[in-house]
Amino acid sequence: MSFGSWLELIASGLITGGVYALVALGLNLQYGLMRILNIAHGEFLMVGAFITWTAQSALGLSPLLMVPVSFALLMVLGLAIHRLVFRRLTRTSPTLDIFEARGLMVSFGLMFLVQNFAQLIWGGDLRGYDYLADPVKVGDAQFAANKLLLLALALAISAGLIVFLRNTLYGKGVRALMQSPTGAQLVGIDTERLHPLMFGIGLGLSGVAGCLLSMTYTISPSMGQPYTVTALIVITLGGFGSMGGALAGGLALGVIEAVGMHFTNPSLKSLLSYGIFIAVLLWRPNGLFARR
Amino acid sequence: MSHRNIKPAGLQRRTVVQALAAVPAALALPGIARAQGAPVRIGYTMARTGPWTTGAQVSQEPNYLLWAEQQNAAGGLNVKGAKRPIELISSDDRSDIETVVRTYEKLMGSDKVDLILPPWGSNANFAVAPLANRFGYPFVAPTALSRRLVEMKLPYFFLMLQQPKSMMDALVDMLKANGAKSMAVVYVDDLFGLENYAALKVALAGSGISIVEDKSYPLGVKDLSPVLRSMKDKNPDAFVGLTYPPDTILVSRQSKEIGFNPKFFYASVGTAFQLYRNVMQAGAEGVLGMGSWNGKTSPGAKAYFDAHVKKFGAAKEPDRWASGATWASLEILTAAVAKAGLDKKAIRDFIAGTEHNTILGKVKFAGSENVGTPGSVGQWQKGEFEVVWPKAIATAPLVAAKPTWV
Repeated sequence: MSFGSWLELIASGLITGGVYALVALGLNLQYGLMRILNIAHGEFLMVGAFITWTAQSALGLSPLLMVPVSFALLMVLGLAIHRLVFRRLTRTSPTLDIFEARGLMVSFGLMFLVQNFAQLIWGGDLRGYDYLADPVKVGDAQFAANKLLLLALALAISAGLIVFLRNTLYGKGVRALMQSPTGAQLVGIDTERLHPLMFGIGLGLSGVAGCLLSMTYTISPSMGQPYTVTALIVITLGGFGSMGGALAGGLALGVIEAVGMHFTNPSLKSLLSYGIFIAVLLWRPNGLFARR
Repeated sequence: MSHRNIKPAGLQRRTVVQALAAVPAALALPGIARAQGAPVRIGYTMARTGPWTTGAQVSQEPNYLLWAEQQNAAGGLNVKGAKRPIELISSDDRSDIETVVRTYEKLMGSDKVDLILPPWGSNANFAVAPLANRFGYPFVAPTALSRRLVEMKLPYFFLMLQQPKSMMDALVDMLKANGAKSMAVVYVDDLFGLENYAALKVALAGSGISIVEDKSYPLGVKDLSPVLRSMKDKNPDAFVGLTYPPDTILVSRQSKEIGFNPKFFYASVGTAFQLYRNVMQAGAEGVLGMGSWNGKTSPGAKAYFDAHVKKFGAAKEPDRWASGATWASLEILTAAVAKAGLDKKAIRDFIAGTEHNTILGKVKFAGSENVGTPGSVGQWQKGEFEVVWPKAIATAPLVAAKPTWV
């Protein structure tokens, strides 16, 4: 295989992986911080994609403009959902384990609700639009412009989030909560404010991922679920609660899938991802990048 | 679905689902009140949620609604001379085979509807066909494509779409006549993909066309570029994708991205959808796919196309393959009921023993299989999906080399 083909192959893996990372980061925020295993996470990606599609096809807005807009809209939605559902659950659940179990059930319900709402509003048709689809040459390799844009934005947003969590007071609070919820509350970290905010940011990231995906793929109300599953694999790879791990894990899974498909068969892709998933759970249950 | 729990108990689920479906598809049956006599109750399930929705809501259900509306507006369905209104009894099957089977069992077993219409897709039809046969309901399936369904030899079951053998024979015939020597193939690893792939290999034997690479992929695949890249390196004359709608668009977009420009580019289900043109725009030019009719095929086809666009809007044209088959199946059913009334055995015998005039031309059945409609190939040309092969039913001549993607 020529150098150009390798470059194309690895890059296509990174592009897919960038989206995985974005979705996984959001889910990781919710699970790592609040123990909400949000099965409906992928559905909000779908909502982000449909909002972008509607704005593009009905109002003629640039999908690029919709990146911050879908983040903001989904974040507001996240705040509302947290207030309506998860805040109450936190208050009524006697222990964190019970909260986790109840949260899981609730998010299953949310998944069906959101999917059916989307169905009601947008119908079940497959949708898509054409945006920056022209190929760009990079050396011997050739990529669609929208894919490169997708990769760049996914990386930038992921990096931005990691820097935010590392360098700001908010971020320190979040990390403290992840390490020890009780300890963090003892030193005066306000969970009542941080939890909704982080839940909202998690959903916002999902919305951005959907917005970016709608530029490159066709969208339908059933598109979200596979991404939830992939995000679960990714955060297992990267370690629950580890943001850097989720980014690295997402990119790695994308590349592994691309190379695996090239040398074997796309039909074996799920086998590959789930094989890795099980292997990591068996041998490195704290994630590939955990420092032990 | 969560709305079930919050509705008052007196409201039936069917009603709720119908009301939901009516939101995007305008009002389902405005003509009911005008027709005379006891209604003819016709039951079916359709995917309004879940992965089958795309196909079901483009190729199938809009036709049922349009048909019922047209019949009722004309005074009702002609039942052996008496006009009776059509009442459609439908529900969402959520793309779930279990739900499909249970609902049809209820429709035929306890509701005892007068007639049934088929659900969407090979898998659902595969599950319901034996059941319909047991209850003795004639069943003319517009969106099922499988040799195994034919081989079950169910007397009440009829298939409208051309089967894998005739579709693949037509494709290979066309490629051979236009000098193709090599081919790369991707196929979805389910009943549809496997049967068509098997038929393609049989058709290729002795044709002088060799397969340089073939790969299968799972339903719901997100990225096929690693496969397309290696196909590009082998530079085949033809690319054949035995694909479903999302993948049809995926392989087209990704081939364009990496500059994979074979002389013949063929993808299967979904190529004939309006969506394909919307997404690929000028890039659609010259792309081949499964298609068997358009507005130029017959005056009836033109009238149908116009009525469909009038009812559902210009943004929802019928597709140039299975939509036509759905409409033709309804034409056959209408004729059968006019002749035989609602006697199900008599309807079955009429369908099996008659050569039908439809918008697709003559349709006649040998066993379950439609042997009247030949296998065909379509091609996007200047915004219209033209039938280009065989020449006898072509609506435009083939453009033998696809222009590079734009």
